[in-house]
Amino acid sequence: MADVFLEVRRVSKAYEGVQALNEVSLSIGAGEVHCLVGENGSGKSTLIKCIGGVVTPDSGQIVINGRVHEHLQAIDAIREGIQIIYQDLSLYPNVTVAENISLNQFVERRASFVNWAEVRAIAARGLAEIEEDIDLDSLVQNLSVAKRQVVAITRSLTQGAKLIIMDEPTSAITRQDVDHLFSVIARLKQKGISTLFISHKLSEVFEIAEVVTILRDGKAVGDFPASELDDQKLTFLMTGRNIQYTPYRFPREKQQQAPLLEVRNLSRRGHFHNVSFSLWAGEILGLTGLIGSGRTELALALFGLNPPDSGEILLGGKPVRIRSSEDAVRLGIGYLPEDRLTQGLFISQSIGDNIVITVLKKLLGFLRLLDPGRMRKTEEGWLDDLKIKAPSVRVRAWSLSGGNQQRVVLAKWLATKPKVFILDGPTIGIDVASKSNIHEIIRALAEQGIAIVVISDEIPEILHSCNRVLVMREGRLEKEVPDAAAVGEAEMLSLVSGKLEHGVARS
Amino acid sequence: MRTRMSPAVTAGLLRRNEFYLLLVIVVFSLAITIVNPAFLTVENMFDLIRSSAGMAILAVGFFVVLLSGGIDISFPAVAIVAQYITVNAIIALGVDNLWLAFAISSAIGIAFGAVNAFFISFFKVPTFIVTLGTMNIFHGAMLEFVGTKAINAGQLPNCFKGFGLADILSLHRADGSTYGLSVFFLVLVGVILVTWVILKYTVLGRVIYAMGGNMEAVKRSGFNIRRTQFFIYCYVGLLASIMGIIHVSLIRYSNATYIIDSELLHVIAAVILGGASILGGSGTLTGTLLGVVMISILEKNLVLLGLSSYWQQFFVGLMIVLGVSITHIQKRIQNRRSLALTRE
Repeated sequence: MADVFLEVRRVSKAYEGVQALNEVSLSIGAGEVHCLVGENGSGKSTLIKCIGGVVTPDSGQIVINGRVHEHLQAIDAIREGIQIIYQDLSLYPNVTVAENISLNQFVERRASFVNWAEVRAIAARGLAEIEEDIDLDSLVQNLSVAKRQVVAITRSLTQGAKLIIMDEPTSAITRQDVDHLFSVIARLKQKGISTLFISHKLSEVFEIAEVVTILRDGKAVGDFPASELDDQKLTFLMTGRNIQYTPYRFPREKQQQAPLLEVRNLSRRGHFHNVSFSLWAGEILGLTGLIGSGRTELALALFGLNPPDSGEILLGGKPVRIRSSEDAVRLGIGYLPEDRLTQGLFISQSIGDNIVITVLKKLLGFLRLLDPGRMRKTEEGWLDDLKIKAPSVRVRAWSLSGGNQQRVVLAKWLATKPKVFILDGPTIGIDVASKSNIHEIIRALAEQGIAIVVISDEIPEILHSCNRVLVMREGRLEKEVPDAAAVGEAEMLSLVSGKLEHGVARS
Repeated sequence: MRTRMSPAVTAGLLRRNEFYLLLVIVVFSLAITIVNPAFLTVENMFDLIRSSAGMAILAVGFFVVLLSGGIDISFPAVAIVAQYITVNAIIALGVDNLWLAFAISSAIGIAFGAVNAFFISFFKVPTFIVTLGTMNIFHGAMLEFVGTKAINAGQLPNCFKGFGLADILSLHRADGSTYGLSVFFLVLVGVILVTWVILKYTVLGRVIYAMGGNMEAVKRSGFNIRRTQFFIYCYVGLLASIMGIIHVSLIRYSNATYIIDSELLHVIAAVILGGASILGGSGTLTGTLLGVVMISILEKNLVLLGLSSYWQQFFVGLMIVLGVSITHIQKRIQNRRSLALTRE
């Protein structure tokens, strides 16, 4: 660590009596790649906001480049070269790449007129600086999430960033794109630009970080060189307890019985081609592949949201037609969507309303009107069953943590008593402790006899929670891994990315 | 990449809403011309410009609001109130001057816009609700405090009548009588140019686009959103007040109780048809103007096809529904493409 660029000195911040940050200190050197980890509610976002001058700490100092700030304002932080890239990236989807990169600069300069040649020049220079090539004239809404990130990073860079703070940049991109993002961060490092990187994925922390700061309950547990940490130790420091993974076993002999769900030669042009597989009751089947491999498209087909052009789906041995989500629910298929905030929850409604929405028809009483007593009973039953941490079922969904929100979505689907339950990215953006809790719930459901499909990008998640794995690539079923416990992470990774040409026959 | 460029460019053109709208306008115009050759004459075109210039100016204003992610339905009320007060003021003052009329009218329009912007930017009330309320406040207050008596052509000051008759270009018919291109055209061109420069070459204009795309991101960039909102709603108010003067000069009659309802519908239809998104952030000035042309032709020329004027209402409604549906279907097709394999 050469020169210290940023130093946070004993910063505290309380919100309505809750101590979000308690005397947290942190220091980041110039060109350092620093990682900030901690569970949800550990104070990560508050800390970032303090550094960015968006939130004023109750006490403590923030020292940037040797200058001490007691009351750092957002505009000062920007002038000092601190740029925060929020999870939503703060881009303008409806305008071009060039303008997205340059517009804020014109705003900052308080310019009245836009010079289009300069807009392009700034953007082109910025992209060249991190050796990226993106069409300046394409609209941001037509880019992949990974490219949008590059645009956001380039924008920070052109605004004179010395420290770029990225809030969970890897939660919505594929493994390949993560690698690419890391190479961009490495290039930033060469230019002496520091990165503060927030992640939930422990493997990534080790891959990229030089120094890791761990927060727990608003306190800094400490700064650790990444080389001194491993998975176990980091998890322990974050949560204060040890979390053990045991692979999920599904008795082989049960596969002799008739499968619950059978898919035969399912195709949809441009999405997936000639996919066949079987799913047994009580199984947890992993479905993985890169984004664009057809895995989400296939799952949506099983739930009626992306009907196939040809092929057959059999449920309990009988051919079924699933042309809409209504059909799917009637047949006992549940689907937990990838994006719980927009597709899984009615975010501004109560937990209770969210839970019973799928089963309203079963809760009719007198005159076929909704029976409030039975509704309340159902709602509270699920709150208990899934251990959702909330004072009552009347609490609005947005006020819950990610893990608890996901449990509400789970409850909503479990209330329909599904026979087949498809979970798309069940732990995206959820911290380690809640994550293992959700894995436990999934496992318990399988043990009750529900046939489960888990879709995920995260190789460890797939390997730890599934008994069997299907790997998709370029719309085809690339490989079936019959025993998830028997393959390693590296091997799985190469299968997914297609770097291994001839199967797994090396173990 | 390079080999795919040229089909991509053609596809871009084919995906442009403006292209299809232009096509429909051409086909429709040809159809009318076949039935009634009087349609495609310079005289009829000049007439169309004279009678539609006001609507086009309103449409430009409405487009700017829509672009920013807002909506303003108070503009017809602003236009009529500004007009009626101005005409009364000019009569009362006894100064028969068009410039003074524009000055009074603009001041009223901008003031009303500022009232809208005040509620929108300070209390964060949804723009539709604010303008629904203020349009009734403006109109109601005027009826109570200024009066309800209509002003007919005889009472109307000469400056308005003169403005309505002024031509920037005169042509002779076969029989020697003249017809011409109204000075309204000049006003409209001015409005279009100013708006175009604002939207394309000022930071303010680009921020209006950005606001329609991602309001939150604009806030984080440190831009003064309040000031932008004041600009937007005052600008619409100003354009509405200009339209008010054009309107009275054209029909030589100012009726306080007359709210230009159909004008509201037509303006919304034109802008939506022109491809602007109701959700903000996308659309072009060219599209808006083509939308105005389409609606104007429908409005003024169905009679030439031998249809009763009641059909006009029917078709304008149909245009709104069709216009929005087509834009949404295009979006859905694009989404489906992006859900499909996106390898590069």
